[in-house]
Amino acid sequence: MEAITITLNGREVSGHTGMTVLELARESGVDIPTLCHDPCLAPIGACRICLVEDERSGRLSASCVTPIEAGMVINTESPKVQERRTTIIKLMLSSHPDSCLVCDKGNTCELRKIASDIGIGVIDMQRIPQPATIEEVNPFIERDLSKCILCAKCIRADQEMVVEGAIDYINRGFASKPATLNDMPLENSECTFCGTCVAICPTGALMEKQPVYRGTTPTNVSTICPFCGCGCSINLGVRDNRIVRARPGKESTVNHGTLCVRGSYGYDFVHSPERLTSPLMRVNGDFEAVSWEQALDHMSSELNRIKKAHGSNSLAVLGSSRCTNEENYLLQRLARCVLGTNNIDNSSRLYSAASIAGLGAAVGFAGSTNCLDALEQSEVILVIGANLPASAPIVGYAVKRAARYKGAKLLLVDPQQTRLASFAHLWLRPRIGTDVALINGMARFIINEGLLDDEFVTRKTDNFEALTKDLKKYTPKYVEKVTGVPGEDVCRAARLFAEATLASIVYGNGITQHVTGTDSVMALANLAMLTGNIGITGGIFAMQRYCNGQGACDMGTTPDLLPGYQSVDNDAERKRFADRWGTDLPVNPGLTALEVMEQAKDGNVKGICIVGENPVLSFPSPSLVKQALESLDFLVVSDMFLTETAKLANVVLPAASFAEKEGTFTNFEGRVQQLHKVIEPLGDSLPDWEIINRMASSMGNPMPYSSLQEVMDEIQEMVSLYQITDYRDSQTKDIHRAELDRDPLKKRRLYKGQFPSGFGRFSPVHYEPPAEMPKDGYPLTLLVGSILYHSGTGSRSSRSPRLRAFSPEAYVEIGESDAGQVGISDGESVKVISPIGEVNAVAKITDTMPEGMLFMPLSFPSTPVNQLFGITLDPRTKTPALKACAVKLERAEPHG
Amino acid sequence: MTEEPKQILQGTGKVLKEFSKKKENLVPILQQVQNQLGYIPREAMLEIADYLGIPDMDVYSVVTFYNQFRRNPPGKHSIRVCLGTACHMKGGYIVLDAWKRRLGIEQGGTTPDREFDLDTVACVGCCAMAPVTVVDTEVEGKTSPTRVDGILLSYKLEKEKGSKGKGKGKSKGKAKSKSNG
Repeated sequence: MEAITITLNGREVSGHTGMTVLELARESGVDIPTLCHDPCLAPIGACRICLVEDERSGRLSASCVTPIEAGMVINTESPKVQERRTTIIKLMLSSHPDSCLVCDKGNTCELRKIASDIGIGVIDMQRIPQPATIEEVNPFIERDLSKCILCAKCIRADQEMVVEGAIDYINRGFASKPATLNDMPLENSECTFCGTCVAICPTGALMEKQPVYRGTTPTNVSTICPFCGCGCSINLGVRDNRIVRARPGKESTVNHGTLCVRGSYGYDFVHSPERLTSPLMRVNGDFEAVSWEQALDHMSSELNRIKKAHGSNSLAVLGSSRCTNEENYLLQRLARCVLGTNNIDNSSRLYSAASIAGLGAAVGFAGSTNCLDALEQSEVILVIGANLPASAPIVGYAVKRAARYKGAKLLLVDPQQTRLASFAHLWLRPRIGTDVALINGMARFIINEGLLDDEFVTRKTDNFEALTKDLKKYTPKYVEKVTGVPGEDVCRAARLFAEATLASIVYGNGITQHVTGTDSVMALANLAMLTGNIGITGGIFAMQRYCNGQGACDMGTTPDLLPGYQSVDNDAERKRFADRWGTDLPVNPGLTALEVMEQAKDGNVKGICIVGENPVLSFPSPSLVKQALESLDFLVVSDMFLTETAKLANVVLPAASFAEKEGTFTNFEGRVQQLHKVIEPLGDSLPDWEIINRMASSMGNPMPYSSLQEVMDEIQEMVSLYQITDYRDSQTKDIHRAELDRDPLKKRRLYKGQFPSGFGRFSPVHYEPPAEMPKDGYPLTLLVGSILYHSGTGSRSSRSPRLRAFSPEAYVEIGESDAGQVGISDGESVKVISPIGEVNAVAKITDTMPEGMLFMPLSFPSTPVNQLFGITLDPRTKTPALKACAVKLERAEPHG
Repeated sequence: MTEEPKQILQGTGKVLKEFSKKKENLVPILQQVQNQLGYIPREAMLEIADYLGIPDMDVYSVVTFYNQFRRNPPGKHSIRVCLGTACHMKGGYIVLDAWKRRLGIEQGGTTPDREFDLDTVACVGCCAMAPVTVVDTEVEGKTSPTRVDGILLSYKLEKEKGSKGKGKGKSKGKAKSKSNG
C-alpha cells in the first residue's frame, strides 16, 4: 500500500491510501472531536464537528470523510475551525434542554464534553424547544428526543450493525427526528431492544429505562455474556457491588459493538431477590439455612456411604454448559477421581451432542470450523435449522450484514418464517425432520452435475465412492416427495452453494435436537467437504444454546470422553490423565444424562450431584425425571436459584453468578474468552469451582489446587486444544485480539484444509422418516425453540425483571387456517396435547406458521413444554428428541 | 370499506409490475401509487418495502420527507387554509383552528367520512381578501370561524339534497359557497 505524507498541525505524518484525515490524526495522537463518527459505522460527515482546515486553500472539510492526499497541510485547531466548531455546538445547545443536572448520561455525554472542552458556558442564542420524551411501555429503552442532536448514529447502528431497519429519520427540516414506522412506540415496531443504539448515542437521548443509578459508574469491567453460545463481550458498570448497566464491548472481534436484548438487559437476574445466599439442607422435609461446613459434611458422608454400599457407579454427576471451562474440568475430575465413576454428563447432551458425534466422525473434531468474520465474508450462506435472530442474535447480525451489504446470497432452510426470511435469496421450507433427504438431494445434484471441488475431494477426503453410490436414490423427484420442497429449488440451491468459492453452513438446534440429528450433521459435513468449503474458505458453524456448551464438552464433562475428546477406553490417554492426577481412572464409559435418569428410576443410581443444571425443566418427560430424582437416596444441587430441580435436593449449595467469578468460556467458534470478576459473590454464595474444590476436600480426597490459575495451567498442559490460550496474563483485557494475533484458533481451524487426521471422511447417511410426524388423533406438529427474550429453560431469564416484564408468559403460535379449524381466536387460552402430556398456553395467531405446524418457546418455567415429549433417543448420541412432536390442540375451556 | 385493502394491494401491485426491484425506483413507485390511489396508505408502503427488499421504515422515511406524498386518503373536498404573510396577520391560524375543531381533524388529516381533507397553503395571491381559505377551487375571502360553519353547512345541505335526489341524475354538485354567506 502506498504511503502518503501530509502535514498535520505543523508535523509531518504519513498514512496509507484510503485513510481519512480523522483516522490518521487519531493514529498520530491528535484529538479531533466528533459526534457522528464511530469506527463501527460508515462515516457520513453529518455533525461537522470534526471540521479541519487545509491551510493551502483555506477550505474547511469534515475530516471523517476526507481522504488524505499527498501535500495536504491540515490544521485541526485554526481560528476558523474553532469558530465554526463553537457555532455548531452553540446551535446544538440552543435546542438542547437544560436538564444536564438530572441527565443519566452524566459525564459520558459527548456533547457536554466537547462543549466544556471548548469552554461554552452561556448560550447567547434564542432557544428552540424540541419534542419531549416519548411515552413507551417497554421496560428497556427510553427515548427523550429533546436531547437528540440528529447525528444518525442510532439509525445507522440499527441499519448497518444489527440490520433491523426499525428506525429512520422522518419528516424534514426542524421537524425531522429518528422514529419508527408511523412514529409508533418501539414495542410496536421491528425493534428488538438490542441496546446497540443506547450504547452508541452520544447524548442522553437514548437511555436505559428505570436506571438503578444515575450518572457515571466508578468501575466498569469487561466480561463475557452468560446467555447464548455467541460469547459476546459485555462491559458492566458497577456501583456499590451492584451491576448498574451493561454495554457492548467495543473491541470484541465477536460482537463488534452490538449486543442483543439478553446481553444488554438480562443481566439483572444477578440481583434477583430469589438468589440463594446460604447453603440449604433438608431437615424433616423442609429446607433450613445451614453453614457451608454442615452442608458439605452432610453431603460427603451421604455420598461416601452410597459409594461404599453400592459402588462408585451408583453415583452420577451432571455438569453444566453454563459453567466455566475450569469448573467443568474440576467437576469431571471430581467424578472420575473422587467419586470414581464415568457417570458424568452435561446439558449440551440435550442439544449439541449430534455436533460432536457428527462433526467428530467427518471432520475429526467437534465444533465450528471457522470464525465469525469468515462467515460474514462468505458468498453463499446456508442457514439450516437455526432461528438465528432469536437463538444466536450476533450470528444473525453477521448473516444479515453479509446478505444486505456484502452481496452474500442467503439460502434459508426453515419450515417456519423467521426474521431471516426477508433476507433470503432462496427460502426452502421442508417438512419437519426431512433435512437429511434435502441435504442428500443437494449433494447428489452437485456430484451429478460435476460441481464438486475435485481437487479437495481427491486430496483431502476419503470414502467418496461409497457416498456417490449411496446418494443415487436422492433424485430431485424423490426429495420433492419426501420434503415437499420443489425439486428444481433443491437443484437451484445446490448449484448456488457449489458454485460459490466461499460458502458457509450455519446450523442450530433445528438440526441437532431431532432423533436423526447426528445424520443431519454428517450430511451437512458431506456437503461442505464436497465443495471444499470447510476451513479456510467458508466453514461449518454449529450454534450453541449456552455460553459454554462447547467448553463443557471440550473439558470432558462427558461419560465417554476425557478432556480434549480423548476416549476413556484409550489406554494411553487414560494413563496420561491418571498419572497427572495420581489415581486410577474408571475404564468403562459411563451413563449419559438421560440414562442416568432411567437408572435412577430403576434404583441403580442412588446419588446424583448436579451443578448449574435444571433437568426437571430441560429434560423430556419432566414427571419421569422428577420421579427419578425423588427416588434417589441423595441429591445435591449447586445453583444460583432454588430451581425446580433444587427443590428436590437434600442439599442445595448457593452458586455465584457469572459476574462474581473468574474463569473462561469457549464460544461456538471455539474462541476461549476470559470472564472477569465484576462484583463480590452475593451472601455466602461461592463460585462453582470453589464449591467443587470444597466438595472434594470434604470427601477426604482434596484436589491439589490453591487457585483458579493452577486449574487453568493444568488445562493448558493436558488439553491440546487449549494450549494456545494464554490466559496467564489476566490483565490483558483484550484477550481475544491478543489470541488472534498469535494464530490461536489454529488447532480448531482447518487452515489449508488440513484435517486433524489427515483426511475428512464422507459418511453416507440415509433419510429415516421422523418419529415425530403427525399420527392418528394428533394431526399437528409442534416445534419447540428458543425466543429472543429468554434463554434456555428460563431459570435465569425468567428471573430478570425486565425480560420477564416484556415477555411474561408462554404462548403457542398457530397458523391462521389451523386456528380457524379448531375455532381459536388470538389471545385465547388453549391446551396443547401430545400422547405423553399436555400444557396450557395462550394462543398467538400468526401468518408465519405453515399449515399443520405450531411453535412454542421452551423458556417458561411455569409452562414446561418438555412435558409433551417422551424419551426418544438418537441411537448414537443418546440425545433426546426435543425439537418437534405430534400434538393436537384444544380450547382450554369449551365454548359457552 | 372492507374492499379497500384489496384495492390498495391491487393498485400497488399494478404499479410494482412496471418497475424493477431496484432501490432507486422508490420515489417513482411512490409517485405512481399516489397517482393510482390518491395517497400512499400504510399497506402500500409495506408492499413496496417488501418488493424492493428494504426496511419498511425506509419507505416511511421517504414518504414523510417529501411534501408531495399524502399519507391520508384525499377527501371529496379539499380545504386549504392560507397562512401566507397577509393571512397570517389577519388571523389565519384562528381560521385553521376553527376548521380543525369543526372537522375534528388535524392539519394534513381527512375526516372519517372522507368528505373533507384539511391542509395549509403558503399564499394563493388573494392577499386583499385575507384571511383566505381555498375550498376545492373556490377562494373564500375574509373567512372567520362563523364563516367556516357557514361553508360547512352549505356542503351538508348540498349533500342531503344530493342523496335525496339520487337516481334523478345529478347527485354530485359543487356547493354554491357564497349563497350561505
